[in-house]
Amino acid sequence: MSTPTPALLLRASELIGRPVVTLGGELVAEIKDIVFERTGGRIAGFTLRNPGLFSRSRKDSLPWDGVHGVGRDAVMVSDETVLLATAQLAPRKQARKSDVLEDRVLTDNGRELGRVVDVVLHGGTSLEVVGYEVEASEALGTAGRRVLIPLPDTVAVSGENLIVPAAATEFVSEDLAGFGAAVDAFRARLREGTG
Amino acid sequence: MLFSQAHKRDVVNTATAIRVARVNGFVVLPGPARVALLRLGKVRGTGTLLAWDDVQGFGPDAVTVATDAVIRPARDALEQRAEDGDLEILGKRVLTERGTELGAVTDVDFDPETGAVTTLITKTETLAGERLIGLGGYAVVVSG
Repeated sequence: MSTPTPALLLRASELIGRPVVTLGGELVAEIKDIVFERTGGRIAGFTLRNPGLFSRSRKDSLPWDGVHGVGRDAVMVSDETVLLATAQLAPRKQARKSDVLEDRVLTDNGRELGRVVDVVLHGGTSLEVVGYEVEASEALGTAGRRVLIPLPDTVAVSGENLIVPAAATEFVSEDLAGFGAAVDAFRARLREGTG
Repeated sequence: MLFSQAHKRDVVNTATAIRVARVNGFVVLPGPARVALLRLGKVRGTGTLLAWDDVQGFGPDAVTVATDAVIRPARDALEQRAEDGDLEILGKRVLTERGTELGAVTDVDFDPETGAVTTLITKTETLAGERLIGLGGYAVVVSG
């Protein structure tokens, strides 16, 4: 019998180098880098290395909505037609500017929690940004250590600062084990607060 | 019947009673999962493929065909890849549609009456044939 697949949390940086495989079982590329959206701190897609391993495709990026599933061993796509030229995904300059890495994380009451060092994704058959890994500031009492901060469903990002609700500090984790529950609990709290 | 049991089985022409080839491999296609072709060795001509529909009987001791003419070369790009062994299922990694690897295929169980693939077997998993979504050069992809 097969075992059920548990909810999968992974760092965006872990996806680099991971194979991109079609549901037909063909290897089409490897993930080269992550492209962030200009606003919202979300991921627009991925640039690819060795695109068209088995075809003459010159399309070298994978848009976020073209992803069928993300797991520990591969990024799955329905077929090669979901790939785009990178210019269609995001202009190179824009993509770099809107990178959330190194952004300062501020609470909505003005405390700096640290700087973003990685993005935490929830994989499976959908892909969602659920948190950021930050190098913690004094405000978190774990200065210098890397911690995981859950994100609400929406977040304000300027390119320099990333604003999270102050309650996020109560749901900080030090590792991915348990972070999924922290994200759920944090979002439940926010819904109670607004409902 | 397991692929491992059926491997190397003689292919016999029932009109001449002569052994014309032996089974070297199986070409599995999804939707629904089935043995579409047999890959043959020790053939007399240049072709090494035998379509499942041209198999007269897949018995416990021999595979029978009505004529040698059904043993043929590849007819399209997919069959060419199959003939080259690129689509061989045994030994290929299994990925779920969520991108998790479940090990490599060690054996396959199929119905010798219909060619339907009933089970994919890896070192740690036994997967229903109906979960097969795709089979390419890199991986066997299953649902779930």
